[in-house]
Amino acid sequence: MITVNNLSKVFRQQNGEELYAVNNLSFTADKGEIVVLLGVNGAGKTTTMRMLSTILQPSSGTATLEGYDLKKDPQNVRANLGFLSGDTGLYARLTARETITYFARLYDVPENKIHDRINKMADLLDMHDFLDKKIDFLSTGMKQKVSIVRSIIHDPPIMIFDEPTAGLDILTAKNIISFIHKCKEDGKCVLFSTHIMREAERIADKIVMIHQGKVLAQGSWEEFIENTGLHDLDDIFIHYVNNVVKEDA
Amino acid sequence: MNIKKIIVIYKKEMLDLLRDKRTIITSFVLPIILYPLLMIGLTSMTSRQEIKLEQQEIVIYLNDMSQNEISREIRGSLSEIETLQIMDEAIVYNEDTYLDLLKDKSIEALITVEDSLSSTGYTILNLTCFYDETSEKSSMAYRKIRDNLRDLEEVLISKRLDKIKINSEILNAVEIKKENIAPPEQMVGFIVGKFLPYLLIILTISGASVIASDLIAGEKERGTLETILVSAAKRNELVIGKYLTIITISIITVLLNLLSMYIAFRHIFMQMGQTMGNFQLPIGNFALILLLMIPLITFFSAILLSISTYSRNIKEAQSYQMPLLFGAIMLSMVSFLPGFELNLGFSLIPIVNFSLLMRDIMLNNYQLSYLFIVIGSTLVLDVVTVYISIKLFHSENVLFRTAEEKSLKFWGKNKKNILNLQFVLVYFVIMILALYYIGERWQIQDLMRGLVKTEVLLILLPVIVILRFSKTDIKKTLRLNYTNPMNFLLVIIAALPFLLLAGIVGQIINLIFPLSDTYLENLQSLLSTDQNSIWLIIFVVGILPGICEEVMFRGFILSSLKKSGFWHGIIFTAVLFGVFHLDPFRFLPVSLLGIWLGYLAWKTKSLYVPILAHIMQNSLAILITNYSDKFKFLDFIVKDGNIAYWVIIPAVIIIYFVVKGLHTFNPAETQDNSLEY
Repeated sequence: MITVNNLSKVFRQQNGEELYAVNNLSFTADKGEIVVLLGVNGAGKTTTMRMLSTILQPSSGTATLEGYDLKKDPQNVRANLGFLSGDTGLYARLTARETITYFARLYDVPENKIHDRINKMADLLDMHDFLDKKIDFLSTGMKQKVSIVRSIIHDPPIMIFDEPTAGLDILTAKNIISFIHKCKEDGKCVLFSTHIMREAERIADKIVMIHQGKVLAQGSWEEFIENTGLHDLDDIFIHYVNNVVKEDA
Repeated sequence: MNIKKIIVIYKKEMLDLLRDKRTIITSFVLPIILYPLLMIGLTSMTSRQEIKLEQQEIVIYLNDMSQNEISREIRGSLSEIETLQIMDEAIVYNEDTYLDLLKDKSIEALITVEDSLSSTGYTILNLTCFYDETSEKSSMAYRKIRDNLRDLEEVLISKRLDKIKINSEILNAVEIKKENIAPPEQMVGFIVGKFLPYLLIILTISGASVIASDLIAGEKERGTLETILVSAAKRNELVIGKYLTIITISIITVLLNLLSMYIAFRHIFMQMGQTMGNFQLPIGNFALILLLMIPLITFFSAILLSISTYSRNIKEAQSYQMPLLFGAIMLSMVSFLPGFELNLGFSLIPIVNFSLLMRDIMLNNYQLSYLFIVIGSTLVLDVVTVYISIKLFHSENVLFRTAEEKSLKFWGKNKKNILNLQFVLVYFVIMILALYYIGERWQIQDLMRGLVKTEVLLILLPVIVILRFSKTDIKKTLRLNYTNPMNFLLVIIAALPFLLLAGIVGQIINLIFPLSDTYLENLQSLLSTDQNSIWLIIFVVGILPGICEEVMFRGFILSSLKKSGFWHGIIFTAVLFGVFHLDPFRFLPVSLLGIWLGYLAWKTKSLYVPILAHIMQNSLAILITNYSDKFKFLDFIVKDGNIAYWVIIPAVIIIYFVVKGLHTFNPAETQDNSLEY
């Protein structure tokens, strides 16, 4: 479970001015729930995801993941978390099995379990044909499967997906989406970020719309329809953005 | 830190790199084949080339203007040289055109023969041999002609002596014999010692840099860095694992280099065995150098790792590595230079110390104490650079430079401010060049006039012009503000303690890098009244720089850097101030003074205070140099030309109270840490 409390991130720009990339963000994500962070490019999604995965330090506020505080206990946060993004790469000169084994060891998976887990995941994702081939020789779809296994090899209770389908073809993207559903079925807490409204509409239990680092609105698909009277997520999103513009004016 | 994790990371990196063709070629294959190719190939090629040259036909022309018996003898003697052919007759219109034959390579050498009579009645033949030193064939022609004619001269002289019945042995009054007592091992050491450090340092860095840029910048480029950062490994574990990888591969590279070099040498000496006698290559020295390379490798690896961490991609890492490589090449070349001996100062300068030490080891002529100082000082630097690398790896600004800048652009407003860091740096570089090329020339022509011209025309005037044209508020930028008169009093109180502290810093530097007497004399003569009146010196060396340099540094530069934050701005300005004096020995004390002056400008918000402080510093130094006998209390502080070290304590106490006073008279609430108003 993820609890985000007034999380903010300030960057100092070259001209010395401060910029709030994330501004007082709060939301929660439960076990077996898929929460989608929805926003246009530059809204602060990646910065939020990076803070939650402890790559970036929050400027203020905090969050707990599985009860571990982001600031006080980043080591345990990382151990309980799987992270997958659309632009993460793999080591071209290692084989799929070597890559996955490397990450399993970094995540302290016991040595005697690594082999079984890899086999189990390979069964599930149909990977046996290329497990011992070098990544360099794999297709995009195969690579994506390796990335998935890499991110989940330590069986974390929380999965964070930062625009995982960006730049992928439909078939590969479909693999990812079905994998996300599988995570939900297994009772994992899933946080997913995207700028594609359709994608959010399809898989989200809860949507957190963010714009210029701030939360515009959050709730389930049905709640949005009820509150706005609109039936299209595009329209709903624009509706909330316009509200903010009016408030600012 | 978890050792097991470090090993996991290390093993993976090694596996990854050992599958990389680039690493294999630059780190393993190149060293193995380089030396055999370089040495064996080169020696056999040059000797073959020489033989070929030796056998080539050489054509010369003899322009005989005396046409006597001796000149005919010369022609006869030259024509006996095998492969040499004397051109019969050249049809030319005047004498100069003979040279044209040489220039267009129709002939290899031109000899003109004229005769003259000595006062005692002997005929002396004056020979001039024209040849082209840049042509190997022509040079060889000259050498053959010279040797041949020397023999001929001996014959001619002994003939003359015979004629007057004198034994020709009378000419051998002193005979010089050359006997080299250096054993062949030492000769090898002497030759190898010169280029070995250079070669090893360059090969180590170039090998390690390929690996280092791949290890972190490469991970950024391929998008794998994020995946290891979110893993359960700690960042120091990642850094150390990668660091060990670079070290391992570099050590293997050096080992291969030394081994390959050793085998190649042995091969050559075995071939030359007959001429040089049997001897062993100094294998112990090679082993010691290998051992010595380890701290050097760890040092380079740490620097390269920091560069790789800082860079956004491999290409950027490589461009940052270039200056390091150039610097290392320059410093390691010190072993080629005559007159550079390892001393305490040099043993503290990285690369230079190794270069000189390795040379001495190859000569079997090194001091154990320096060996330990070199290793010790490098290990200290190692720890510092590894610490920096880990710090960088913790800094999110460094790790995510690309990603964040992209999102910043989304809302970033483009504010134009001409007076920024880049502008100051460009301006500073131009000014330093002007100072070096123009200012120093003025000062050589006439020291006092030159100094005035430099200060006013090169330092003060450009600043005023720039501020005028950039339409900034000159009064505000230069901090020409009213200030509490007590500040001036405080600065006057602090002047002597500060001068003494700076003097002590200079003294310590002098201990490590002893200054030459000429350097000290030059410095003294600038301040002394031997040639100029005291008032002129105080004006030119004391007051004028105080005003002009403060306007430039604490006025213009410090204000331009106000965005960098308080201490960054002050320290950066002070470093520029140190560089500006174009004197490596005074860099540290001058920079310290710069920090003090910057602090005064910021604290009092008035340029007048650092101006007074600067004038006081310079003028006090002038007065003490000239009237040391009149300041009786100085005898107490200065013993045998050295300032006593206990002075540090009262000086620091006085400065502490001056700083407290500054805080009292310049309350903090009116200040702003961004150096703004």
